[in-house]
Amino acid sequence: MKILAIDTATPASSVAIGDDDAVRGLSVNVDRRGHVKFLVPAIDFCLSQAGWNSRDIELVAVDVGPGPYTGLRSGIATAQAFAAAIGAPMATVSSLTTIALRAATGHRRIWPVVDMRRGQIAVAPFTPLPGGVAPDGDPEVVRPEDFKAMLEAEAVESLVVGDWQSVPDSTWTGLQNVKRGMPRYPSAETILEIAAMKARHGKTLGPEDVRPTYMRDPDVQINWKAFRSEGAWPQ
Amino acid sequence: MSGPIVLGFETSCDETGVAVIEGLVERSSVLASQVEEHARFGGVVPEVAARAHVEAIRPLTHQAITLAGIHPNDIDAVAVTRGPGLTGSLMVGFSFAKSFAYALGKPLYGVDHMEGHLFAPRLSFEAYEPPAVVILASGGHSQIVHVKAWGEYEVLGGTIDDAAGEAFDKLARFMGLGFPGGPAIDRDSDGGDPDAIRFPRALRDRPYDFSFSGLKTSVVTYLEKARDNDELPARSDVSASIQEAIVDVLVEKTFNAVESTGVEVVGGGGGVLANRRLRERLAEEADRRGVGLFIPEPGLCTDNGAMIASVAVHRIEGGVPGDEFGGDVDPGLRLNP
Ligand SMILES: [Zn+2]
Repeated sequence: MKILAIDTATPASSVAIGDDDAVRGLSVNVDRRGHVKFLVPAIDFCLSQAGWNSRDIELVAVDVGPGPYTGLRSGIATAQAFAAAIGAPMATVSSLTTIALRAATGHRRIWPVVDMRRGQIAVAPFTPLPGGVAPDGDPEVVRPEDFKAMLEAEAVESLVVGDWQSVPDSTWTGLQNVKRGMPRYPSAETILEIAAMKARHGKTLGPEDVRPTYMRDPDVQINWKAFRSEGAWPQ
Repeated sequence: MSGPIVLGFETSCDETGVAVIEGLVERSSVLASQVEEHARFGGVVPEVAARAHVEAIRPLTHQAITLAGIHPNDIDAVAVTRGPGLTGSLMVGFSFAKSFAYALGKPLYGVDHMEGHLFAPRLSFEAYEPPAVVILASGGHSQIVHVKAWGEYEVLGGTIDDAAGEAFDKLARFMGLGFPGGPAIDRDSDGGDPDAIRFPRALRDRPYDFSFSGLKTSVVTYLEKARDNDELPARSDVSASIQEAIVDVLVEKTFNAVESTGVEVVGGGGGVLANRRLRERLAEEADRRGVGLFIPEPGLCTDNGAMIASVAVHRIEGGVPGDEFGGDVDPGLRLNP
């Protein structure tokens, strides 16, 4: 099965193209504001590496977060439009699962971290298994100090991966049984692998059912506080 | 009538618009309005808007193509707004349109939202051609543009503070009329006396510029005083008077531009041009001066995908190739900067 995979959940964006056996094209770019410019030329590059054209793609896979929304939405819109244009099904993957899967070695409980900005991170625990990882709790959006408390309460050894460099160094001081490791960001290459597995289990969906994982309500600011919403006339 | 078939996307603010046009004939135009989402905040909230665009754009694309009675392969080109507007909202439409065009193997045309408004009357009137003076007024923009030729624009003036639609929104909110304010005040002014209260008309000395903050202050002061003295007039009189003050300024500045440029064609676009009193007053004034007035139906004045597609049709017919796929949105885009 020919798959296109797109990831824009973090400052790194990546595109991968491949089939069940191998990655045929991969392109990565680290630029927090560069997602929109990068994606389609990267897809074009990967397709030409594989010697395929857009209509050869049979499944479009995308990272649906958690991650900062603006970049995330451009990746999802790009993936949805591509799938809709050629009539292909889609597969969705979580950014945290993607990072955890790449880190899966040893016995430690894996905690991938995604920077959600404004002093918050998304985290979730995973248990390593032979050939993969299993989620071991729900993803949460927390402050670094809350995450520190979560790790302190752990009875087992932990491995923190993902964008742990985005939190203050003080988060790590005094922690026992906690190691930090790679990778820092998710990669479309891993999404390709997860999507192929999902497709084998029939876990695909239509582009209309794909949406971002927000985990946070939109900020709302009303600019004209001085105005009285009840109006001048008695109701 | 025929011409290229263009799929147009518009997501610069709070409406997701997708349309299919063939030449200058609209084959379908669909819209997901976010009025209800934003109404509870009394204005457009960028993150709320971007979330709604991502929900709406795929089903609307399907709907626009189906209603047009075409297959995606029949599309000759894809057009999309690349600015000005809210970054997060623009990025959804731009990413979607770019990828859709690429996957179909069709050219992509990035369009200035304001140029879309300048072109919109072409979808209703064959006689609408430059040179023209066009008044653009909405919640996000208010300007008077001298369209010398297609692609050759001079912005003669614009708002120095609130956009006209924003002034309507804020005043309607203070009056307890809800959001969006333009349609609310338009409705509420039915039967009201536009001359009941004389609110100030600002910047009389600057021929093409607007300012609405003085009006806002004056209405607020007036209402507070009237309420304190228990002398509140009929609400419809206040609505009609506010509307008249805004309309007066828009009409006066538009025809100042008509006079100084000597054009015989006047166009209009933006949500405020759906206001009934403004349309009536512009028509009276155009009639009196014997110039042609081309204000399309309200659905083409407010943001929509067809106006964006119509700019691409013009470029295609002029032999302009599509954009590179490595382009980006430009939230601060300006007509002929
Ligand atoms: Zn507009």
